[in-house]
Amino acid sequence: MDFSWSDDQLNLKESAIKFAKKELNNQLIQRDQRGVFSRELWEKCADFGVQGMAFPEKYGGINADILTTMLVMEGLGYGCKDNGLIFGINAQMWSVQMPILRFGSDAQKSKYLPNLCSGKWIGGHGMTEPDSGSDAFSLRTSAKLKNGCYILNGTKTFVTNAPEANVFLVFATVDKKLGFMGVTGFIIEKDFPGFHVGKPIEKMGLRTNNMAELILEDCEVPVENRLGEVGSGAAVFNDSMEWERSCILASNLGGMERQLEMCINYAKERKQFNKPIGKFQAVANKIVDMKVRLETSRQILYKVAWLKKTESQAVMDAAIAKLYLSEAWVKSCLDAIQIHGGYGFTTEFEVERDLRDSIGGTLYSGTSEIQQNIIAHQLGL
Amino acid sequence: MKIVVLIKSVPDTASIFKVAEDNKFVVIGNPKFIMSPYDEYALEEAIKVKESVSGEVVVVSFGDENALEVMRTALAVGADSAILVENSDADSFTGKGVSKVLAAVIKTLSPNIIFAGKQAVDDDGCQVPERVAEILGISHASAVTRFELQGLTAEADREVEGGYCTMEITFPALCTVEKGINTPRYPTLPNIMKAKRKEIRKMTLEELNLSADDVRPGLTVNSISLPRQERLLKKLEGEIGAQVKQLTSILREEKIGL
Repeated sequence: MDFSWSDDQLNLKESAIKFAKKELNNQLIQRDQRGVFSRELWEKCADFGVQGMAFPEKYGGINADILTTMLVMEGLGYGCKDNGLIFGINAQMWSVQMPILRFGSDAQKSKYLPNLCSGKWIGGHGMTEPDSGSDAFSLRTSAKLKNGCYILNGTKTFVTNAPEANVFLVFATVDKKLGFMGVTGFIIEKDFPGFHVGKPIEKMGLRTNNMAELILEDCEVPVENRLGEVGSGAAVFNDSMEWERSCILASNLGGMERQLEMCINYAKERKQFNKPIGKFQAVANKIVDMKVRLETSRQILYKVAWLKKTESQAVMDAAIAKLYLSEAWVKSCLDAIQIHGGYGFTTEFEVERDLRDSIGGTLYSGTSEIQQNIIAHQLGL
Repeated sequence: MKIVVLIKSVPDTASIFKVAEDNKFVVIGNPKFIMSPYDEYALEEAIKVKESVSGEVVVVSFGDENALEVMRTALAVGADSAILVENSDADSFTGKGVSKVLAAVIKTLSPNIIFAGKQAVDDDGCQVPERVAEILGISHASAVTRFELQGLTAEADREVEGGYCTMEITFPALCTVEKGINTPRYPTLPNIMKAKRKEIRKMTLEELNLSADDVRPGLTVNSISLPRQERLLKKLEGEIGAQVKQLTSILREEKIGL
């Protein structure tokens, strides 16, 4: 087993760290407090090449393999403290761009991917509904074919990027009686008749990224905007979730490393009872736990990325990655606050924001409990 | 417009430096090499000129294999091609030898303009670009803070005590640049990937018809020493009011907090 990275891969990671440190952290405390999304930073990331990393050159990407992409995303998360921005970009890459690339027609790929890779457009993914979350395929949004157009009716919620997005991948059922066999994906542009975006939903973390409801009232979607075959939505959704669960938390690895370094420095500098607090086992052990979580998260992420690179199915490994990385990130954020004591509770030290941001990871792309269900099912339970 | 940029690979300033036992060399603990920061400004200026008129940017460097990564970065930032005169002993060359090597390469390229950083941050020699201009018999403007192309000539500013000196430059010419002349761009991921496909041409001293005598150092390093680090302790005496006065006067003198 070869764990080494090439000089080229490390160079890309190093460049991502430099770019992120220099360009992406300005006014973050204020932006987080006000809940402001920055289109300018989104476009800077696109210009730098983030959104196009894992996508073919002919669609404006740079065709990096998935392991290299994970390493760069890790670097981005290390340099960029704006977890909301990185989360929004990841959500677009894995749950909008990737399904279009894997299931879209040539026309759909040519129309949407270059705009998404270049940052000109932003994409959102609409699956969850007010009454269907973990039980995703019990969705109610309907799609009826009428005069060469699908007419969609329903409401989607918790749609990441929605207030700013230009294009959405939305799932609806052509016939509720068919269950998951009726679920179908549609690519909807924000200007389609009958399509509305609700007000941004206030939330505890990832506040520099906005989410909102989508309201579809007799929304007209041309037939050519159906993604894949009728009834293939469940396969499209499952595939996109496997990508998202595998890759969306890579940047948090970088965040965990940044946080670990910050805690080590603090534990060396902060003195109580005439010695650095890192000399107390109670503090040192927390830092050790953070380090162990970081390294185990790394192995899990690289393993699933390697599986995806080899085009293997990775249902269980994706669920393990999502479950472990998200929970590890929350625990390390709590440890980081505890190590910083009262200062960790203050906004100025910027560890409390990481904690608020981390909670979302245990909920989006399937809750931790749903990941456990998937793993149990894969184990034959 | 053909533009040459002279770049130098230098140890990252975050590296750990130690004086060797013989006091004549510097040992670098964790070698990592970067483009000398002033050269980043030179490269950016060259790319800006290229973007304003059609042309090409060639980066030229003299160094050992550590220079390759830095040249790759220059290509990713926007240079069109790169030439490295590779020599494993490059570190032992002084300004005189290095300038002869670089001038020999530039003669084969016949550029309209050459940009270079005003100094390299490792040895702070501040003489190679000027020597190159001298060998080539072309004019040079040093420590330029503004460069503006005006048809077949250029106008440039250099900071002088309390003001600016504005110069008109006729091509071919060499300009060394001061920091702040521009904001160097960083290499983007697509350009880093594309740079891998660009060729770095390697040359040897023999190919440039330079003998060991031609590039022999004109000076010898006798010793290298670290700057003395002094910790000045000042103890304030007297009544508390007098101590405050002393303290504020020290702060004023040392310009602390200004």
